[in-house]
Amino acid sequence: MKQIFYYFERDMRKWSRSRINVVASLAMPAAWLVLVGLTLPIRFTDNYLEFITPSILVMTMLFSSLQGGALMIFDKVLGFLNKFLAMPAPRESILLGKILFISTRGLLQATVILLIAGLLGVRIHSPLNIVLVYVTLFLFGVLFSAIATTLALHISDHDGYAAVNSMISMPLFFASNALMPYDKMPEWLRMLAMVNPLSHTIDSIRVLFAGGAAGGRDGGTGCRGWGYGVCGDGAVSEDWGVNRGVCCPHFGDDDMLIFGSILSCQKS
Amino acid sequence: MHELTKYFGSLCAVDHVNLKVENEIFGLLGPNGAGKSTTVMMLTTLLKPSSGSASICGYDVVKDAKKVRGTISYVPQDMAVDIKLTGRENVMLYAKLYGVPDRNTRVDDVLELLGLTDRSGDLVRTYSGGMRRRLELAQALVHEPEVLFLDEPTLGLDVAARKKIWEHISALRKRGMTIFMTTHYMEEADEYCDRVAIIDKGRIVVVDSPTNLKLGLGEDASLNDVFLENVKTGEDQAGFDAFRFRTMLRRRS
Repeated sequence: MKQIFYYFERDMRKWSRSRINVVASLAMPAAWLVLVGLTLPIRFTDNYLEFITPSILVMTMLFSSLQGGALMIFDKVLGFLNKFLAMPAPRESILLGKILFISTRGLLQATVILLIAGLLGVRIHSPLNIVLVYVTLFLFGVLFSAIATTLALHISDHDGYAAVNSMISMPLFFASNALMPYDKMPEWLRMLAMVNPLSHTIDSIRVLFAGGAAGGRDGGTGCRGWGYGVCGDGAVSEDWGVNRGVCCPHFGDDDMLIFGSILSCQKS
Repeated sequence: MHELTKYFGSLCAVDHVNLKVENEIFGLLGPNGAGKSTTVMMLTTLLKPSSGSASICGYDVVKDAKKVRGTISYVPQDMAVDIKLTGRENVMLYAKLYGVPDRNTRVDDVLELLGLTDRSGDLVRTYSGGMRRRLELAQALVHEPEVLFLDEPTLGLDVAARKKIWEHISALRKRGMTIFMTTHYMEEADEYCDRVAIIDKGRIVVVDSPTNLKLGLGEDASLNDVFLENVKTGEDQAGFDAFRFRTMLRRRS
């Protein structure tokens, strides 16, 4: 367990020493918030900013998590991974440390977005809901950083990873209910959005923003978001299970398990 | 190592290798792609052998992989040190990961040993290649391993830095550490290794001390000659007669 924290600490120190990364990673979500959230002439709601803030929070987590896979690629390409794998420290802690770091980094970025949204007038009414928003975002971050790091282990170079990343991230974002509610979508898009883990996380955060987490339909939505988060943990533990004691530079064939758990969660 | 073999698909990278390494500096020499790094990666538990077995200090590299990892250190050729961390932080990370007791003192000790104390608070970004390599050695030594695996330890370093690295390696040998290394530099292997093995196309061609190997070829043979004698390079196969070329050069001078 301690080793997870040591790997986490390594990445955290490296990140905190490159301020350009910190600022650069915030530019895009902030631009969405201001340039889209404040400006888009939308008819279905009076307060589009409030509608889109949860989406931007989730988007920040999503992009940051998927970006995080690049860290794994660099560790692999530059030879760090081999050095770490030749150590007696449990191999899964390399992966878990990375996932913890990526998710934490995403939360810090989300915090800045939340503050900007606060300045623009978006409010969450109960402190408990703020905590729940964080928990939901964290679980979502864990899910996607687990996917990202696993993908990174199977992709050999940085260019390849960047291509896969851009292939996943934007389509996933657009095929969710981030920009418009389900009932304004064409039928085919609604089908896609309904099976998109992003939509469910955004749903539960919208519920928390609106002030409710319990009771009726809203409660159910919240629970679904939670289900996803838990499934993120499941993905990690499957990574962990498969990788234990595997004697090769790669960790094991676990992508299918992760996607399997996403699908199984969708059914429930 | 007993009949150690590794296939990548149908390519046999390491072909039934039998070797026994004692407490010594052992050099594994061979042309590019001969199977040196693959051998080292199997011994350091990074690759699983296709067949055969190997053990380090009595621990099997497959069955007791974790114990093997606790007894060895591995320095790959890539120079993987975090440039955004200080020298001390780099070594401290390894001390923590290895669970070294009393790690503050131990980290100071290895930094001192490799002559990095003065610069230990600086970011590694500012270190020279030789210093980075010494920092890697410091990381590798922090848990006092019994066997040290070095993959091309002097690759890309200038003469002075190489000499310094070798002095450190020799000093470790005197302290009772076994060093298993690969290199391309014959002169270095000649001067510092107790025994060398030449590997070609996954097979060990010869194993002996550099002195004996040279004697086998005649009076003033160098280890380079031994190497060329035993290894069929790509040029040879393409019809390039290295031996004739060399005698020709000799005649001209």
